Amino acid sequence: MTTPAISIRDVTMDYPTPDGVNHVLDGVSYDVAEGHFVSIVGPSGVGKTTLLRLLTGLATPTGGEIQVRGQRLTSSPEGLAVVLQDYTRSLMPWLTVEKNIALPLRNAKLSRTATRERVEESLAEVGLTGTGRSYPWQLSGGMQQRVSIARAIAVRPSILVMDEPFASVDAQTRFDLEDLVLKVRDDFGITTLMVTHDIDEAVYLSDEIVVLYGKPAVVRDIVKIDIPFPRSQMTTRNDHRFADLRTHVYGMVRGLE
Amino acid sequence: MMRVWRWILAILIGAWLPIVFIAWWWNASAESTNPYFPPLSVIWEQFKVNWIFELVPVHVVPSIRNLLVGFLIAAVIAIPAGTLIGASRSGTRYVEPVVDFIRSIPPVALVPIFILLLGLDAQMRITSIAFSASFPILLATIEGVRSTNLVVLDTAKSFRLSRSAILWRVRLPGAMPTVFAGLQVGFQIAFVVTIASEVLGSGFGLGAFTLIATDSFLIVDAWTGVILLGILGYLLNLVFDLVERISLRWYYGQKKLS
Ligand SMILES: Nc1ncnc2c1ncn2[C@@H]1O[C@H](COP(=O)(O)OP(=O)(O)OP(=O)(O)O)[C@@H](O)[C@H]1O
Ligand SMILES: [Mg+2]
Repeated sequence: MTTPAISIRDVTMDYPTPDGVNHVLDGVSYDVAEGHFVSIVGPSGVGKTTLLRLLTGLATPTGGEIQVRGQRLTSSPEGLAVVLQDYTRSLMPWLTVEKNIALPLRNAKLSRTATRERVEESLAEVGLTGTGRSYPWQLSGGMQQRVSIARAIAVRPSILVMDEPFASVDAQTRFDLEDLVLKVRDDFGITTLMVTHDIDEAVYLSDEIVVLYGKPAVVRDIVKIDIPFPRSQMTTRNDHRFADLRTHVYGMVRGLE
Repeated sequence: MMRVWRWILAILIGAWLPIVFIAWWWNASAESTNPYFPPLSVIWEQFKVNWIFELVPVHVVPSIRNLLVGFLIAAVIAIPAGTLIGASRSGTRYVEPVVDFIRSIPPVALVPIFILLLGLDAQMRITSIAFSASFPILLATIEGVRSTNLVVLDTAKSFRLSRSAILWRVRLPGAMPTVFAGLQVGFQIAFVVTIASEVLGSGFGLGAFTLIATDSFLIVDAWTGVILLGILGYLLNLVFDLVERISLRWYYGQKKLS
């Protein structure tokens, strides 16, 4: 068996609070296969962001361990890029779009021209050629989210992790961004892990959906999405298989099944 | 550029009150025989003799030089120090109360101590200015860096930026609006201390000029000094605002849109 891209092993997370310990995750285990698109869904407050922060090395689990390509995770791992929940604040407002994208490239030690080329390529990939000189706050919400995706892929990561990346954009922009993420995944063969509230979106994008449920949360179900790629907003969403899967996942998240 | 013009227009609109005041002063003092309140027209004649530009090299240049050098030293020391302290939890806990304490001493009261320590030369004046101006800058920088947005910080960490890159390229730039508030206060203090530091043992500088004129009953000269101080203080603040507007373009642009 090949090593999974990410291996979550019996992970437990407790937060200390003034009145005792807040048990958030209780023995969560899951392997993200190389090249897969995996969504994490679950009710609000269940611990999705918490799990994602553990995966990105921004926090350390109370128990269990996380491995990225077989390496036990200690700090933010190389080759893993993150798009955080609150994009309006994750882009640095004092930097132009191109400087924002160039910021994570500091570690890559690229030459000045190579950096500029990489920034241009990343902007082109998300369809924002020519906006490099603007400030993020001069762009629409959807464009800002494209910038944060461009910034994430600028380092050519092999794993992309996103926390509700499309939560605050309108429906049309959301569809566009979903297709953009699928394109990025195809173009670069990135293993993608996404937290979302939107079950339709999870079914549309994923190879597999992980349902977190309970307090403390456990993996309640792992749903294989056996709808073939390439998918399209028009046909996939009208597929009866799509409807079945959505109903199933919806029931799981609501605790109905 | 548009914004700069609008800013100039705002200044002109703000100028109506001073204009009314000057007109009133001019008329009210025209017939004055009180030696302490000479007619403004007389002051103005003397003002032209003194400050356009006869005495500028002797009395204005040294003051401005001390002010700028002292203020820059304060900024160059206080901003990096504040960044380091603000980023460290124990640094903030141990250093901030001390800084707060020293800051609550009126800066002018410290001048005599510096005179005792350093004597009566330009070095003493610059040290007094730098010392007094550095506290508001230090406190503002500590506060700004400490309150770095957590999402920004997480993002920077996930990029695996080095600690120093996170400090100087993420936390400090994000804190600049707060730092500028401290710089503004520090600059005003620096101006006051510049003048105050000249009232003892100096023959040069605007503070010295005004004081000596007063002591020698050259009341008209003293008035011209006071007026020039007012004008200079105002102009320096304008320059400061302009520098701030340009440096924090991103901040004001973002604020306007949200
Ligand atoms: N840094 C923290 N310190 C203490 N408690 C925390 C922290 N972060 C999250 N929690 C707690 O952990 C629980 C799960 O929060 P989390 O943000 O992971 O949920 P979520 O599933 O992402 O929710 P949402 O869908 O609303 O984003 C909540 O009870 C929250 O109060
Ligand atoms: Mg969340």
